[in-house]
Amino acid sequence: MLHMEKTSVRSWFSSGELWIWINAAAVGISIAAVGGLLALIAVRGLAHFWPSDIAEIRYLAANDQETIVVGEMIESETLSMAQYRDSTGDASEFPADQEIVRRWLIKTGNRREDPPDFEWLYEYRFQAVAHPESLAVFERMEWGNAYGELIAVLEDGEVVAGGEAVWPEFRARLSRVEEIRDQIGEIERGEFNAINYELEQLRLDRRRLELNDRLSQAARSSEEASITEAEEALQMRYLRAEAELRALIDQRARDSIEVEISNGAILRLNLAEVVRAWQPNQMSVAEKIGHYGTSVWLFLSEDPREANTEGGIFPAIFGTVLMVLLMSVLVTPLGVIAAVYLREYARQGPFVRLIRIAVNNLAGVPSIVYGVFGLGFFVYFIGGNLDQLFFEAALPAPTFGTPGLVWASLTLALLTVPVVVVSTEEGLTRIPRSIREGSLALGATKAETLFKVVLPIASPSILTGIILAVARAAGEVAPLMLVGVVKLAPTLPLDGNFPYLHLERKFMHLGFHIYDVGFQSPNVDAARPLVYATALLLVLIIIALNLTAIMLRTRLENRYRGVES
Amino acid sequence: MKAKAELHALPGRRRWVNTITQYVVALGGGAVIAAIALIFFYLLWVVMPIFGGASIEDGAVYELDVEAPVFLDVNESDEIGLVFDATGEVRFWDMADGTTRHQLSFERPIQSVKAIYPRSASYAVLTTEGELNLFEARYPISFAGDERSIGSDLAYIFSDQWLEIGEVDDFDVHLANSTLSIAYLSGWTLTLDRYRDAEPDFDLEFPRSREIELDRAFDRVMFGPRGQWLYLLTDSGDVAIYEVTRSGRLNPLHQRQLVQETTELTALEPLLGRYSLIAADDQQQITQWFVVRGEFGLTLEPVRQFQLDGEATHLVPEPRRKGFAALDSGGQAHLLYTTSERVLTSHRVREASGPTAISPRSDLMLIAQPDGTIASYHLENEHPEISMSALWSKVWYEGYPDPVYSWQSSSADNDFEAKFSLTPLLFGTLKAAFYAMLFAVPIAIMGALYTAYFMAPVMRRIVKPGIEIMAALPTVILGFLAGLWLAPLIEANLSAVITIMLALPAAIVFLSLAWQWLPDKVRQSMDGWYGLIVVPVIVLAVVSAFSLGPTLEDIFFGGDSRNWFLTVMGLDYDQRNALVIGLAMGLAVIPVIFSIAEDAIYGVPTHLINGSLALGATRWQTLIRVVILTASPGIFSAVMIGLGRAVGETMIVLMATGNTPVMDWNIFQGMRTFAANIAVELPEAEVDSSHYRILFLTAMVLFMITFVFNTVAEVVRQRLRSRYGSL
Repeated sequence: MLHMEKTSVRSWFSSGELWIWINAAAVGISIAAVGGLLALIAVRGLAHFWPSDIAEIRYLAANDQETIVVGEMIESETLSMAQYRDSTGDASEFPADQEIVRRWLIKTGNRREDPPDFEWLYEYRFQAVAHPESLAVFERMEWGNAYGELIAVLEDGEVVAGGEAVWPEFRARLSRVEEIRDQIGEIERGEFNAINYELEQLRLDRRRLELNDRLSQAARSSEEASITEAEEALQMRYLRAEAELRALIDQRARDSIEVEISNGAILRLNLAEVVRAWQPNQMSVAEKIGHYGTSVWLFLSEDPREANTEGGIFPAIFGTVLMVLLMSVLVTPLGVIAAVYLREYARQGPFVRLIRIAVNNLAGVPSIVYGVFGLGFFVYFIGGNLDQLFFEAALPAPTFGTPGLVWASLTLALLTVPVVVVSTEEGLTRIPRSIREGSLALGATKAETLFKVVLPIASPSILTGIILAVARAAGEVAPLMLVGVVKLAPTLPLDGNFPYLHLERKFMHLGFHIYDVGFQSPNVDAARPLVYATALLLVLIIIALNLTAIMLRTRLENRYRGVES
Repeated sequence: MKAKAELHALPGRRRWVNTITQYVVALGGGAVIAAIALIFFYLLWVVMPIFGGASIEDGAVYELDVEAPVFLDVNESDEIGLVFDATGEVRFWDMADGTTRHQLSFERPIQSVKAIYPRSASYAVLTTEGELNLFEARYPISFAGDERSIGSDLAYIFSDQWLEIGEVDDFDVHLANSTLSIAYLSGWTLTLDRYRDAEPDFDLEFPRSREIELDRAFDRVMFGPRGQWLYLLTDSGDVAIYEVTRSGRLNPLHQRQLVQETTELTALEPLLGRYSLIAADDQQQITQWFVVRGEFGLTLEPVRQFQLDGEATHLVPEPRRKGFAALDSGGQAHLLYTTSERVLTSHRVREASGPTAISPRSDLMLIAQPDGTIASYHLENEHPEISMSALWSKVWYEGYPDPVYSWQSSSADNDFEAKFSLTPLLFGTLKAAFYAMLFAVPIAIMGALYTAYFMAPVMRRIVKPGIEIMAALPTVILGFLAGLWLAPLIEANLSAVITIMLALPAAIVFLSLAWQWLPDKVRQSMDGWYGLIVVPVIVLAVVSAFSLGPTLEDIFFGGDSRNWFLTVMGLDYDQRNALVIGLAMGLAVIPVIFSIAEDAIYGVPTHLINGSLALGATRWQTLIRVVILTASPGIFSAVMIGLGRAVGETMIVLMATGNTPVMDWNIFQGMRTFAANIAVELPEAEVDSSHYRILFLTAMVLFMITFVFNTVAEVVRQRLRSRYGSL
C-alpha cells in the first residue's frame, strides 16, 4: 500500500499534473482578482446609497466616562494587540493572552457642531447599542450629514410645530423650500449665466474695437455707443434678476428646524441648508429601496457640493460624454482611412510594415506622453497661435491657449487611433475577396466598391473600434490632467449661450473626479463612499462598452463564416 | 491594360471620385506615420534647447564720460543702465541710444557701493568720510494711451540721514524682514550694527552694535546666507566664518585657507544665495567653495573646479542663478555654471577695469573699460543648469555633505538650487516596472498557457474576454483601490500577505495531490475546468490567511511585523510602497501580456502538438518542449509590450506610491517614476523654463523606451507570423 502510494506520487509528479495545476492557479488568481475587484467596487459603491440604520451607542470613553455616540456603523476591523498598543499606547486593561481587539468606524456626522465626523470605537467598550426610531439623518448643503432628533419646526424664529406634528410639517415646508431652490437655480444657471456671458462678450467687443485701428472715428464712436447701450440694458436685466433672486433667497430662509444631537445640544438648521431628511430606523425595506433609488438619481443628476465630496457627479458625467463624443468625431475618419489604406490600397511592402510599426507604437506610447505632447503642441503651440490670430481681444487671458475641451478631445483622438485602425482592419480582412471582385466585375470603380460595398460590410467592426476607443478614452485620466480636466468647472461646456458648444472651456471627468476626490480632498473618510460610487459607475460604463464591442465582433465573425469557406 | 483603358473611359465624376479617394486614403495611411513622427519631433524640438550652448555677443559701447566708475547695474527690462562714480555722481542712461536720462550727485566722494543683499536694485553707498546711506533705484512704468514710458529715479530707502560708521576697510549690508544689518571692518576690528524694525521712510536710530577684535586684519567682509553668517576674507585667500546669532552676537565658526602658499587669489565673489564662494587663482583655476556640515561641524570645502586658459581677473555672479561670468587676463569672457559644471561659452572682450555687472535676467553684461567707456555684451544663456552630468550623475549641491542623486525641481526660496537629477526617477520607473513584472509575468504567462492549451473551450470563450476586459479597466480605478484600499489593508495585515505567499502554493500542491485520489471518471469530466476549481481554494487560502493574520503576527513577528522588518531586516515601511505597486500595476499588466501570449500559444499549429503526443510525450512535456518553444517569440513580444505598459503607467503609480524620489530597492518603500513626475509637475512648470523642458525630456525618454520595446515586439511578432505561415 505504502509502496503503491509512493510510486503514484512519483508518477503524479513526473506527469506534470502539478504544473498544470499551478498554471490553472494562475488563471484562477486572475479570475479571482477581477471578480474580487469588481465585487469590491460594486459592494462599496452600491452600499453608499443605502439608508443604513443609525445606532445609538452608549460608549465608555477613554476616561471611563460614559458617552452617547450616534451615527452609522460603517465598517469594523480586527487589530492585533500590538497594533492596539500602537494606536492607544496602553493595553493594560486586557488579559495578557488576549490577541485581538475589534473596532468600528462610526460616521457620527455633525461635522460643524461636534467634530470629527468619523470615529473609531472599540467594541469591548460598547455598553449598549440601540436603534431609536426617532433618530433622523439630515443631509445638508454644507458640513455633511447631521444626525439627531427633530424636535421643532420654526417659522421666522417662532415654533409652529412640535411633538407628533413635527415631521409632516417639516416635510411640507421642505418641499416648499425645494421649489424655491429650483427657481433660484434656474435664475442662477439661466439668466445670470447668460448675462455674465453677454457682458463678457461686450467687453471683448470693446477691446476688439480698441485694437482695430482701421476704423474711422465716427464708426468707432457709433460702435462704442451701441456697446454701451447693450451693456446698460444688460445691467438693467441684471438688477432685475438680482432683485428677484434676493426675494427668493429671503423666502427660502423663512423656515428652520431644531434638532437635538447626541451631545444634548440643540442644533438650529435653516431649511435652506437641508437637502433631505429621513428616519432610517423606522423605514420599511420598501421605503429604503425607494430612498435608495432617489439617492442614486440625485447622485447622477446633481452638481457636486462640499469640494466634490458630496452631492452628485452630473457635470463629470456630462463632461466625459461630451469629450468622448467629440473625440469619436475626430478619431473615426483618421482611423478608418488608415485601415482602408493598409488593407485595400497599399501594396504590401516595407512602407506598410512601417505603418504597422507606427500603429503599434502609437498604441504602446504611454498615455502621459500624449498628455505632454497635447499640452505642448495643441495647447501652447496651436492654441497660443490661435489666440494671437483670432482672440487678441481677450489677451493676455488665453482663450484656446489654455487646456480645454477641444484639446483634450484631440489628444485622446490621437491616443485612440490605433484602436480604431486595428479593429477596422480586422473587419476588412474578414470580407471575402469574392465580394470585392464581384463589385469590380460589375463595373464599379475601386472607390465605389469601397464606399458602397466594403465599408458598409465592415461598418460593425468600425463601430466596434469606435466603441473600444470610447471605452479607452472614458477611462483615461493621465493625459487629461494636462490638457483640460479640472476638479470643478464653473460652467458646462454646452449651454444656452451662442455658440452653445464652448470648445475652449475646461470640463470635469469621471476618472479625474475619482483621483481628485480620493486623493486631493481633505476629508478622505467622508469622500470615500462617493469615490467608490463614481468608480462603480465608470466601471459599469466601460464594461458595458466593451461587452457591446465583443458582442458586435462575435456577430461579425459568424456573419462571413459561410462565405469564406 | 484593358482595365485601365476602361477606367479612362469612365465619366468624369466617377473617375474624379476614384482618384481623389485613392489620394485621400494614401494620405490617411501616411498620417499615422506623420502622427508618430510629429510626437517625436515635437518633443525633440522642445527638448533641444537645453543641450544648446550659450553665446556672448558684442553690444553697444557707451561713452558716458564717467571719471572713475565704482558700481554698475541695469534695470529689469535692460532699458536703463545705472552707474555710480567715485566723485559721487550717479547717472541713469538709456541703453538704447546711450544718452543720459537722469543725473544726480551725492556731493561727496564715494569710497564704495555695494548691492544690498538679498534685495535687488538696492545699493549701500559709503563715502570716503565714512558716511553710509541706502538707496533704491526705481523705474516706474506709465502709459499714455498705448505709449509705454519708463522713468528712473534713485530714492532713499530710509531717510536722507547719512549714518556715520567711520573710516572702514570694507563693509556689507543685509536687509530683510525689517532688520538692517551693517557689518564693517576697520583694521583688526569687526563691527556689526543692527537696526530692528527698520521701516522705509523713517530715520534709522539706536542700532544694537557689537564689536569684536580679530586676530588679524581682513580685507573684505560679506554676509552669508540669510545674513546668518559673515565671511571675512583676506586678499591672500584666508577665510574666516563668523556666526551671527539672533541677538546679533558674533561667534567664530571656521577658518580656512582658500589657496596654497604658492598660489595667489585673483578674484573672489559669492554666488546667489551666498552659500557658495567662487575663487579664481593665478593657476587659471576657478574653485567653488561652500560650507558643508560634516563631522567637525561646519567646514568650507572646495566642491568643484573649472580650468580656464587664462587667470580670471573678474568674476561676475548672475543675480538670479548660480552661474557667473569670468573675465580672464587673456581678454576672454567665459560663462560658467556651477551645478552643471559647464563652461558654456567664451568670447573675446575688451579689457576690463573697474566694475562689471550682469542684468537681472542674465541677458546682458556690462564691463567698465579703462578709457571710461562701458561696454555691453548680449548673453544668450537659457539653460545653463542642465548638462549630462547634472541630469544623470551625482551632483554636489550646496549645503549637502556629499554629491547625491536628487530630484527637487522647485522650492519657495528664490536662491534655491534646482536639483534635476533624472537618475532617481529612472530608478523609480524601473523599480515600479520590475515589481509589477515580477508579479505579472509568471501569472500572465502561466495563465495563458493553461487557457490556450488545457482549458475547456466553453470556459475559454468566457475567460479570455473576461481577462481582456480587465485590460480596459481604467487605471485610475486600480490606482484608487491600490492607494485607498489595498495599501492600508496590506499595512494592517502584512503578516497575512506574507502568509498568502506561502499558503497559496501549498494549497495548490495539496489540491493537486488530492485530485489524484478522485475517481478517473470524475477527473476526466472535470478536465479543462481546473482554472475554475482552484478559485474557491484560492479564496479559502486568502480568507484563512487574513483571519489567521493577527495570530501569526504575534507568533512570527512579535506582534508587529512592520517593526520586525525595521529592526530585524532593516527595512523601512511606507504605507504606499513597491509591494502595493507590484500588485496593482501587475494587475494592469497581466491582461496585456496574457492576451498576446495566449494568442501566440493558441496559434501553435495543432499538427505539431499532435505529433508530439503521438510520439508518447505527456501533455506537460509537449507543452514545454514543443508549444512554449514554438510560441516563445510571441511570449517574448507579449512581455515586451507588458513592460512598455508598466514603464509608462501613470495613475496607479501616482496614487499608490508616496511619489518620493528615493533610490532604494526595498519593496516596502515608495518611488517616483517619470510618468508620475510629469503628471505632478508639468501643470505647474513655467513654459519654456529648464524645468519644463526637462519634463519634456523625461516624456521623450518614456517615448523612446516604449518605442524600442514595441518595435522589437512587433518585429518579433511579424517574424513569428511568417514562421507559422510556413508550418
